This record gives sequence, C-alpha cells and structure tokens, in this order.
Amino acid sequence: MIIEAHGLRKTFHAKRGRGKTEEVEAVRGIDLEVREGEIFAALGPNGAGKTTTVRMLATFIAPTAGTARVAGFDVVKEAAKVRESIGYVSQAGGVDENNPGIDQLMLAGRIAGLSKKAAQARADELLAAFSLTEIARRPARTLSGGQKRRFAIALGLVTAPPLVFLDEPTTGLDPQNRANLWDEVRALRDRGTSVLLTTHYLDEADALCDRLVIIDNGTVVAEGTPASLKKEVAGDVVTLKLKGVDEAAEALRAQSYVKEVRTEDGLLRAYLDDGEHGLPHLLRVLEERSLSLESISLDRATLDDVFLRHTGRSLRDAA
Amino acid sequence: MIRQISLFLVYELRFLFRNPVWPLFGIMQPVLYLVFFAPLLGKTTSSGSMPEVLAMFTPGSMMMIALFGSLFAGFGMINETRNGVLERLAVSPAWPPAIILGRVAKDMLVLVLQAILVMGVAILMGLRIGVPGFLIMLLLMAVTGLFAASLSYGLALAIKDENGVSQLVQFFAMPLTLIAGLFLPVSLGPDWLQTLAKFNPLYYGVEAGRSLFRGDLGDSTIPIAFALLIGLAMLTLVWSMRSLRRLAA
Repeated sequence: MIIEAHGLRKTFHAKRGRGKTEEVEAVRGIDLEVREGEIFAALGPNGAGKTTTVRMLATFIAPTAGTARVAGFDVVKEAAKVRESIGYVSQAGGVDENNPGIDQLMLAGRIAGLSKKAAQARADELLAAFSLTEIARRPARTLSGGQKRRFAIALGLVTAPPLVFLDEPTTGLDPQNRANLWDEVRALRDRGTSVLLTTHYLDEADALCDRLVIIDNGTVVAEGTPASLKKEVAGDVVTLKLKGVDEAAEALRAQSYVKEVRTEDGLLRAYLDDGEHGLPHLLRVLEERSLSLESISLDRATLDDVFLRHTGRSLRDAA
Repeated sequence: MIRQISLFLVYELRFLFRNPVWPLFGIMQPVLYLVFFAPLLGKTTSSGSMPEVLAMFTPGSMMMIALFGSLFAGFGMINETRNGVLERLAVSPAWPPAIILGRVAKDMLVLVLQAILVMGVAILMGLRIGVPGFLIMLLLMAVTGLFAASLSYGLALAIKDENGVSQLVQFFAMPLTLIAGLFLPVSLGPDWLQTLAKFNPLYYGVEAGRSLFRGDLGDSTIPIAFALLIGLAMLTLVWSMRSLRRLAA
C-alpha cells in the first residue's frame, strides 16, 4: 500500500465575527488504502472534504485525529520523508506567473537535491513529455490554462516521485485538454507511478481510475472499482417521467426483475440488471395500471446512480 | 541550508534582472528629496554648508527606501498564498525557512544596491564620507532591509490580503517616518517628541546613519541600531516562518 489512512479527521476553527469561532468538520473519519501503481480517485461534490484529505496526506496540514502512512512514512512524524516521495499538484496549480516554466522546473529540481546538470536533464525530459519545450522560456502568465496545468503537473513530477497527488486536475479545462490530460495520467501509471486524484466529474472517475472512493460530507460513502460500484446498483437504469409517480413506484417494486426504485421531483428511476429485456415487462405493468408516460429513457448505470444510492441525492445537485 | 537559500535567491534575482527597472523607481523618491528638499535645510545645521546638510539628511532619505520599498516586499507573496506556489513549496523537500530567507536576501541586496546609488548621488552633490563609514552604512542598510522585508513577509502571510497589507503599511510608515526624525533630527523638537522617538527602532537607524556620515564611528547609537534591528529582524523572521507553516489554516 502506498497510502494507508485510518480515521483521518480535520476540524477547522473558522473565525466568525468578534471572538466567536465556529468549528467546521471538513473531514470526519476517512479510511483509505491506495495500492502501488494504481490510479485512485476521490470522487465527491465540492466541499465534501476531498482537498482537505489530500492536503493531510501531502503533509500540508496536520490531521486533527487519525493516522496516515504515505510511501511507508507517517505523515505527521516523518513529514520530511513523505515529501521526498510525493509530487503534489494543488487545485490552484502552484505555477509562478512571473517566471518562465523552465526556471521553476530547475528550482524544483535543485531544492530536491539534484545537481544543476541533473535538474536540467530532468526539466528537458518533462518539457518534452508534456510538449512544453517551445514555451519553456515564456513567463507563465502568458500561457493558456491548459499549458499552465501541464506545467503544474510537470512541477509535481520533477523528483520522479512514486506517488503523485492531483487535486482536481482537469477543473476548468476544455474537453480536448481534459482528454489529453487523462492520457498523461494513464502514461504516469504505465511508468509505475501511483496516482491519487480528486474530482467532482463522474465521467473522469469512471474513465480514468482503477479504484475510487466516493466522499460526501467528510466521510467515505462507497469504495471499489467503478465497475463493481455500478454493479452494486444495477446494470441499467430506466428513468421515467409520469403522473402518479408513487403508484408507479409501488407497482414496480413488486416486480422481481426490478432491483430498486427511487423517486425524486416527478421522476422515477428503476434499476434493472438487464434493461433491454426488463423494459417491455416494465411498460406492460404501467399500462395495466393506466399510468401514462411523458418520457422514458434507458441508460447504463453511472457513478451518479451509485452516489444517489449512498447519499440519497444526485451528485449534480450536491455541489 | 545555505545552498537552499542561495537557490531561492538566484531564482528571485533572475526575475529581478529580467525586470531591472522597478528598483530604480524605488530610489527616485529619496533622490528627489535629496535634490529638491535638502537645499531647504541649510538653516537647520550649525554651519549651514551643503556637506553638513547632506550628512544630516542622506541617512534619513536612505531609510525612506527601506520604509517605502522593502516594507512592500511581501506584496508579491500575497498572490503566492492563493496561486498554490507556497502550497507547492511547503510540501516540497525545500528547507522551509529558505523559502522566506531567499526572498529576504534578495530584498537586502536590492536595498544595498539602492543605498549605493543614493549615496552616490549625495556624494556628487558634495557629501563627504569615509570608506569605513560608507561600508558600515551599507551594513546598516542590509540589516534594515532584513527587518523591513521580514516584517513585510510576516504581514503578507498573516493577513493574506493586498488591501489590508497596503493600508497597514501606510498606516505605520507615516508615524514611523515622522517620529524617527527622517527629514529633520528629532533633537530639534520638544522633549516629548524626543522621548517618543526612543521607542522607534527607525530613530536609532537614522541617528546611527548620521553618526556614520559625521565620521563619528564610536557613537553609541550605532551598536544600539544594529542590535535593535537585528533583534527585531529575528523576531519578524520567526513570525513570518510560523505564518508560512500555518498557511493552510
């Protein structure tokens, strides 16, 4: 295990007016195990505690309670050792706008103990890998969002760490840059680097990670591979819009091929293992009760359905 | 440790050399004061001669660069508390104090270079100063820069807000200037002002400068100024390093 965390908690004391402080429980007891060489995602809405968790694991802040070992070292007692083994790319990126990327890569290499020559070689390697060679000498403020993000990740990789934290790596990127970044993250794994990334994008967690945890309100609500989590819910989901949602829900719950039924705001979701074969039966049941449909759709279950099942609300609404 | 500080220093200096114009603007203010204000001060010294006026006025104008230049050094760092640069450095293998010390070293160097230019202008105008006095004055400026810059980084890291820091610095700069006798010696004023000035570290800096420029290297204000400024610099350095550690909270 490259990351083992048990019962991680973080409580902030936010100042609210004169002398008053409010306790904010950002993380309320998180357990995590990340294996070597895997892409591991922490999926959850904004404010779920993902960033705070990553910041604790990266030694930026100390946990209020709980323990964590990263790359074999305790994040509190052996923070310096942890820092030698990780790359950390924060949400904000950490690219210095005033200076060229090459200077920042060189500085990052040299403060990690590389000689000038070794730092130069490593910088050249990273610039080539992220197609940044041509813009290496431009002040970072003149670069596009995607280019800056690539520099941010390159900066996190200077020491060739066995583990990289990527906090919301694709937030704010256009689809093209996002897809490219996914490829780069996969390439990292192919070279043996473990990756822990946070995201609030369902498709990102689904497409990119080997395993994930879903975090909500500072706790882990589900853990597994994307496939196994979705399988827990069902293979397919039928979404119906109709009048008489409650009656329809009751009727469908009685059907053996329907695993679960959920309703929200005039919408009914029925989870079926085999949607193609279940759908005709389902329609017949509704017809028998003279329930007329406004619309219907059949989709593969997504991680949003998993989120819905564990938290009672959709990730789209949760943010 | 020295290696780490010099790495950050060199990084900062490379930025400076790409934009060498800005520190030159910083010395415009004291130079303007020297050229247009010092000639008005003839009556305030015993002989009224230009070299004597300059020996009285130049140290004050040099402290001005520290007050209005180095005290704003932390401004750039406020942005770095938000754009993730400090966050990245904080979890890098960097020796944490070097993150601040490298920057402070740059600010000291800039202040010393500015001081040389201002003294050069004063010498052209007729100031006479011995080599030891000149060198000790540069050392005094370096220590002043150490204090002012670390105070500025401390404020930046504690307040993390451009508006707050600029208001606060302005708020302190004006009374410190007046009570230090930056423009005219406090000894010309009433007793209460002289007493008040004794609580202002800048007062000792200016007075030490005046002793040096008079060639009075044995004056007691010189060791007092060094001890005070170094002591305060250490305090503010420790404070800014602690603020850096608490950045996330």
